[in-house]
Amino acid sequence: MNKQLEVSNLSFRYSDTKQKAIADINFTVDEGEFFCIIGQNESGKSTLCSALVGLVPFYFTGKMKGDVVVLGENTRKSSVATLASKIGFVFQNPFNQLSYTTVSVAEELAYGLGNLGIEREEMHRRVERIAGLMRVDHLLNKSPLELSGGQVQRVAIGSAFIMQPKILVLDECTTQLDPLGSEEVFDVVKALNGEGITVIMADHDMERVARCADHILVLDGGKQVAVGTPAEIFSDPSIRQHSIEPPDFVTIGRRLREEGLYSGDITLTEEAAITAAKGALVR
Amino acid sequence: MLMAKKKTSSYIPMDSPIDRLHPMVKIYAIFCLGISALVCPTFILSYVLVIFLFIVAWKAKLFKKFAKFIIGFAIPITVMLLFIHGLYSPKNVTYIANFGFARLGLEGTMYAIKLVGGLLVFLGSFLLMTTTTHPGKLVTALIESGMNPKVGYLVLASLNIVPQMQRRMIIIKEAQMARGVEVEGKLLTRATAFIPLIGPLVMSSLVDVQERGMTLETRGFGAKGVKTTSYIEVVERPVDRLIKRLLVVFLAITVVASILARLIR
Repeated sequence: MNKQLEVSNLSFRYSDTKQKAIADINFTVDEGEFFCIIGQNESGKSTLCSALVGLVPFYFTGKMKGDVVVLGENTRKSSVATLASKIGFVFQNPFNQLSYTTVSVAEELAYGLGNLGIEREEMHRRVERIAGLMRVDHLLNKSPLELSGGQVQRVAIGSAFIMQPKILVLDECTTQLDPLGSEEVFDVVKALNGEGITVIMADHDMERVARCADHILVLDGGKQVAVGTPAEIFSDPSIRQHSIEPPDFVTIGRRLREEGLYSGDITLTEEAAITAAKGALVR
Repeated sequence: MLMAKKKTSSYIPMDSPIDRLHPMVKIYAIFCLGISALVCPTFILSYVLVIFLFIVAWKAKLFKKFAKFIIGFAIPITVMLLFIHGLYSPKNVTYIANFGFARLGLEGTMYAIKLVGGLLVFLGSFLLMTTTTHPGKLVTALIESGMNPKVGYLVLASLNIVPQMQRRMIIIKEAQMARGVEVEGKLLTRATAFIPLIGPLVMSSLVDVQERGMTLETRGFGAKGVKTTSYIEVVERPVDRLIKRLLVVFLAITVVASILARLIR
């Protein structure tokens, strides 16, 4: 598999603090992967996500050690604006991702393209395509402030994706949304991953992480605790020590296994848990 | 119950001939008409220009809004300037009224009236520009005229700041009302409510600024070695070029005439 992102011995301490926000982080992300970052609050997820796109060290000042190499480019030797066409970023708060300089969704989607000097005709083509992908094509003439949280977040993802990055980083992008908005956004993210875009997502929803991730990085107190597949991470009982609760489906399968009623693989999804439970009932 | 307004800017799309003017024509108008009003020795030109702006507002289908602004601004500012200059200007030689505690001087009064006229021309033309110009078109036109794109962003953000703050203020008001704070009603009640509203307004704006700055960076803002482009097309028509030239000629004539008038005196 083609390695697209490499993080080597990454540590960062904010300039007004004594403790490192993240320490000795090492992992790689391959092309087309769905890579999740999990951890309790204040574990360093947002700092790590910021480092992946160059906001650390260019926007957040402090002491950075180690390297982040994105598609062959070291983030320390580039700039956030230059990296924007390689790696896109979506934040938690949907409404803080609007430029507040546009009066329509179409203009908002195209905002980044203007900064990159893309020709107008190409802009219009991309806006039409991305609006369809993000399911906001019926909202193109609306003001971004008239949209719901889920719609704004889809516009924000579209605004990042329209710049054609190979990698998209999402920092808990569904936290501030209602369940419906959250599902709408996640469907779009899955669709993008399905198109070959590498997705790196920090998330709290363990069921979603278990269902979709190819690999998971676990952080606790800024330190890297584990990195592996969902099966490896959620089958490890020590994960609870880092305040990570496995998804309920995993717990169901584990309990059935403990009772001797199930001997199959770890149940990462609802369907697997139901199959395991049905098998247990038959026994 | 208050509802948070959802406008991003002060632009009001009206599909009028004024809307369709190139944004630079309106920028030229602000400066040419405003400076003309200020340099002219008498106040007559200022008020002729104000009447002209009322006609432009009517053509832009914004007469009521424009009139409300002009009258709402003109009355308090006139009273204030008349008080300061009319009563206490050192230029006062001829007195036209005696109030007991002070006397109203003719020279100071004339100066105040001229100043008000100049302010009305500047602010009135600025209001017409912001309400009849799509913000994106304005910035595109400014950047095409040679302005730095970063300055263009500052212009846009400044134009949009008032509607944004208003929107945020409404949300904070609703939140405070839900907590039992009285924010509506008598003047004293509203004045008392100002403090629990202004604190959250300023703090939340500052917090949002940081994240908004990060968003701009990740959308390629300030990318080096790149000539920025725009989703919106702005086309300069022959009538736009003609009006710009007429405005410049008007300014030139006014300046020359003003200089000559002062020399003759």
